[in-house]
This record gives sequence, C-alpha cells and structure tokens, in this order.
Amino acid sequence: MADSADAAAPLVELRNVRKSFGDNVVLDEIELLVAPGEAIVIAGPSGSGKSTMLRCINGLEEVDSGSVLFDGERVDPRSRTIGRMRADIGMVFQQFNLFGHMTVLENVMLAPVKVKGVERDAAKVRARELLETVGIPEKADAAPADLSGGQQQRVAIARALAMDPKLMLFDEPTSALDPEMIREVLDVMRDLARGGMTMVVVTHEMGFAREVCDRLVFIDEGRIVEQGPPAEFFAAAKSPRAREFVDKIIHH
Amino acid sequence: MSSWLELLTDNFDALASGFWVTLRLVVGAFLVAAVVGTLVAALRIAPSKWLQRLGGVYVETFRNIPLLVLLIIAYSGLRRAGVPIGTWTAGIAALGLYTAAYVAEVLRSGVFAVSRGQVEAALSLGFDQRQTLRRIVLPQAVRTVISPLGSITIAMIKNSAIVGAALAVNDLLKEARIIASRTFETEAAFVCAAIGYLLLTIAATIAVRLLEQRYAIRR
Repeated sequence: MADSADAAAPLVELRNVRKSFGDNVVLDEIELLVAPGEAIVIAGPSGSGKSTMLRCINGLEEVDSGSVLFDGERVDPRSRTIGRMRADIGMVFQQFNLFGHMTVLENVMLAPVKVKGVERDAAKVRARELLETVGIPEKADAAPADLSGGQQQRVAIARALAMDPKLMLFDEPTSALDPEMIREVLDVMRDLARGGMTMVVVTHEMGFAREVCDRLVFIDEGRIVEQGPPAEFFAAAKSPRAREFVDKIIHH
Repeated sequence: MSSWLELLTDNFDALASGFWVTLRLVVGAFLVAAVVGTLVAALRIAPSKWLQRLGGVYVETFRNIPLLVLLIIAYSGLRRAGVPIGTWTAGIAALGLYTAAYVAEVLRSGVFAVSRGQVEAALSLGFDQRQTLRRIVLPQAVRTVISPLGSITIAMIKNSAIVGAALAVNDLLKEARIIASRTFETEAAFVCAAIGYLLLTIAATIAVRLLEQRYAIRR
C-alpha cells in the first residue's frame, strides 16, 4: 500500500506489464508511473499497444504478467473491488459510447446515482453544471443520436467527470470526429488538464500533446521507446523510430 | 355482405364469448412466453457453456415441434401419464412455451446487437456485470427488437386458433365452427371469426407501433 499522505506517490504504476493476444505480443515490459496532476500523452503508430495499455489501467484488459496499481491498489479485473476503483477512473472512448436509451442528462446522472448513491436531485444539479462546463447545457434533454460527434464526446467527458474521478483516461477521443469538431473536444480536455486533472491520453493530435501535456510517452511494438517533455520529443527524438514518427506526423 | 352482419348480430353472444376466450388464451400465453423467453434468453447469453446449451436445447425443442403436436402432448400425453392437467393450462402452457422459444432467440439477437462499447462504458463508470446487463444492455436489447417481438406476438394470436382446434376450449374459431354447423352459413361464420382475429392483431400492431415510436433507439 502506498502512503496516501505522501504527495509524491504515483497515482498509476505499471510494473513490468506484459500482455499478448495469442502469439501477438501487444505490451512488453511496460514500466510507467503517472504522478497526481500529470497530463500524459501516449503516442505511437497504430497497433503499437497504446489503447491496450490504457485499458489495462482501469482493468478493461487483464494483464498477463506484471502489475498495475491505481492509487496504491492493485487493479484486478476479477476482484470485487474493481467497480469501486473504476468509479474513480473516468474513461472516454473513441466511439463516445453514450447510452442510447437515455437523454444526455440521464447519461451524466446515471452512474453517480446508481453506483455512488448520490441523491437524484443533487446528481441532476451536478450534471447540469458539468454540461455547462463542456459547453452544451442546452442539450440536456436531447437524445444522444441528435447530437453531433463533438457534442456526444463532450457529453461523454461530462459523464466521466460526474463521478469525480481521480484520473481520466482518453482513448483516441477525437479519432472518430469530423475535423471541425476536434477543436471543441480538445479545448475541454485542455481546460481539464489546466485545472489539475490527472490524465492519460492516447491521441494522434500532436498539437494537443505539444501544447497541453507534461510528458509524452512514445510506444512502438508494445514497448515504451522513449518518453519526456513534448517539446524535446518533437525537436530531438532520440530513437530512430520516434524520429521517423515525428517526421511522418509533421510532414504528413 | 349483409349475410355475415346478420349472422354476427344473431350470434353475437356466442362470438363474443369465443373472442373473450381467445383473448384470455393470448394474454396468458403472452405472459408465459415473456417470462420463459426472457429466462431462456438469459441462459443463452450466460457465461457458462452448459447453461448456454441448456437454453439451446429448449429453443430447438420448442421451435422444431409443431404446435399441434405440443398441444396434444401437453394435454393427452400428460393426462395419460397421470398428470391431471386442464385444457386451459395445457393450451396456455403449450402456446406460451412454443412462443417463448422465438422470444428467446429474438431477445438474444437484441443483446448481441448492443455494442461492446456500451458495456465497456458502463463498466468503466463502476457498474458491475449484473447492473450493466440490467441497466444498459437489456433495456437497449428490448428496444432494438420491439418490431420482431411484435411479429411474434401477432403470430401467437393467430396460432391460438390451433389451441381451440386441438383441445376442448371454446375459442373464437371453435364458436364460429359451431355456428357454421348449426346455420350452414359457413363463409359468414368464418368471416366473423376472421374479423375477431383481425381486431386482436390490429390492436397488437398499433401497440407495437406506439411502443416503437416511444422507445426505439435511433443510432
């Protein structure tokens, strides 16, 4: 158990994490520490294991070996405590995954009421505040299908924030969006990061990485190849693979 | 044209009684089909291979035996085996259990139509498997299959005529046949029966349409 009084204790710890799907090794000897308040971008080519790594943090994927710790506690998808841990870890998906049979407001209220036992009225007030924060208070009573992709993703962020998470995971949050809607989602994420939220973001938006994140982690073929401040990474990536990646991103 | 109207007014009590019997049969069988169909669907999507197989055996048994045969087994077969089953119970049970096989299959397909992403979103918010099934997956699965469930219900209403044909239950069709053999107005009697069944099926159709408008999920 980590000492919770110790401010330097990492919020997330991945220790020697390995994971494969069949013969395909997707994560190999992953070591990653995320400090409270830190915003990290995970970058790398498609199929490099970025999303899998993110999904190991809240136990949507089970690791083959090694350990994943959140707030000093082991993340085990089979344990009884996994729900309580996930309630503290917000996750935003590429495909938004708003609940289609509920209104926007109900989407945001559901988990606080049913998982945390927050009173309905209080949850509703909080949900409206959060919709205000993500800039779409007027859509509270709309169905998810009536929203644009950018709006849906902002609702998804509000839904995750409604649980007052200690950590937010973003799995390619803008990859399914039309270009003109990417900005509105990234703006919400930037404000979150500036507000001190601990974030791990898998994204191809290198502008966001450069502008917002504290540390960029570059993964290739299931391994962390290098990590550091984004400015350094873009200016002078050390490994050939990372340089190649930067060249491709910058020159398209 | 006027002949069936005349027959209807002359025999209104008998036809109304048959209609009432058919309605009760249909409602009873519907309840059995809904409850058993949901349970069997739950078996079919259970994590255990054996439970899945058990559900599969149910579906294949009740879907692949003609309803008429099921009715005869449910009544004559059970009585001969010493089970003192009544015609009502046998009729409602056979029609309900037969229909439940179709309900289970449709519900199962509805569950699979709910994307994995919905489940992951619920889990990531801290819901456990059971809550996810109850609050996220099932409500969406049912809404996805309102229309096929409506078709099954309409088929069940029509299949209820077989209950009266096989067992001593004076449903709408049976009453019409009695009237036909008494008055020799065969066509008129069956037109009256047809109108009775249409009333039920059209009511079901309208109910399904309203449910769809209210609950269907746009994606």
